[in-house]
Amino acid sequence: MSLSSRMIIVLTTVGLISGGFLAGVAKLTKERIALNIQAEIEEAIKEVVDDAGISTVLYEEEGLVIYRELEEDGDLAGFAIQAIGVGFQDKITLMFGLDETLTKITGLTIIDQKETPGLGAKITDWNAFLRFWEDRDATGPLSLRKPSVHTPEELLATEINSITAATISSRKVLEIVNLSLDKVRELIAKGKITDEEHDGN
Amino acid sequence: MATKTIRAEYLKGLWDENPVLRQILGLCPTLAVTGTVITGLAMGLATTFVLIFSSLVVSSIKKLIPAQVRIATYIVVIASFVTIADQFLKAFFYPISEALGPYVPLIVVNCIILGRQEAFSSRNSVGRSLIDALGMSTGFILTLLALSSIREILGAGTFLGHQVMGPWFKPWIIMILPAGAFITLGILLGIALQIESRTKRN
Repeated sequence: MSLSSRMIIVLTTVGLISGGFLAGVAKLTKERIALNIQAEIEEAIKEVVDDAGISTVLYEEEGLVIYRELEEDGDLAGFAIQAIGVGFQDKITLMFGLDETLTKITGLTIIDQKETPGLGAKITDWNAFLRFWEDRDATGPLSLRKPSVHTPEELLATEINSITAATISSRKVLEIVNLSLDKVRELIAKGKITDEEHDGN
Repeated sequence: MATKTIRAEYLKGLWDENPVLRQILGLCPTLAVTGTVITGLAMGLATTFVLIFSSLVVSSIKKLIPAQVRIATYIVVIASFVTIADQFLKAFFYPISEALGPYVPLIVVNCIILGRQEAFSSRNSVGRSLIDALGMSTGFILTLLALSSIREILGAGTFLGHQVMGPWFKPWIIMILPAGAFITLGILLGIALQIESRTKRN
């Protein structure tokens, strides 16, 4: 057998065996990976919308998903907005909640981030950052409070706290939320999201 | 070629030919994922899986592979096992997989693995290749553990997520930043060289 034929046969065989093997592995793990991603989203929703039980996707576009959240008994619990935007180092994926009237942010959690460890990564810290996101006004753009304050009571309803030495990461999260809120308000104006649309699920 | 005992074959990976401290290979994951012990350990175990199975396959089929396409064949074999490791972590250890990010797929280009196939598995029996892979993996894991322990304890005051330093301790943020990885690795390399030169003198 010529050398080139041997090379072709060996590489093709190795490639085929490897491809077949990987297809099998992908089939075995696909469902579990999808469940993991789903569980991560559900957990994030529960962190930002109290009593969330049944989720329905109301709107979806690249980098933004809006969920309507019903309580187990069918009452409207609120809305959860999953958004992706550019952070200081890499993309930030976050989830924030809106109350039933779509006028107040009920909380925020970070799903994925690659900010600087020890500095920008504090956007995932409850005490340093997340607790300042509860009960924020969602009817207009939010602004960043700088220098940072120690308690949420010191902030205006339209302000969020900055993290000392990580202003850019704080600002990036704020920008993602403000952009998402713009979109939510646009959808409300178009009648695509309403606080009354909670009869079906 | 002088044949080493099985014990010597295994032990060489721990010190004399330690992949990181002596061969200076696999530095990308060594520097990138040793901010915490758990990610360092996960990377070490994932690399071990890939190295062991790649070595077994390569040493089994070495006589069938034409020399001209050997590197391409090794890479296909290695990439297959890396993909399996990546899928497995995503399915069963999702938070660790998220923390390791792109560094699991990047095991494909870890020079330790390709280096062992080219330098050892393609020239030795299946049994010896397995022992070599086990030794190199142990050396790699131990080095990652040393590096990540130092970085996590000094950088966050924790070990495996548990607080080990008292309230008086102020974490050295630099240790969990890339600069801390370079500084710690540099110090470890310096210590390794120092020990090596003293052993030789004696």
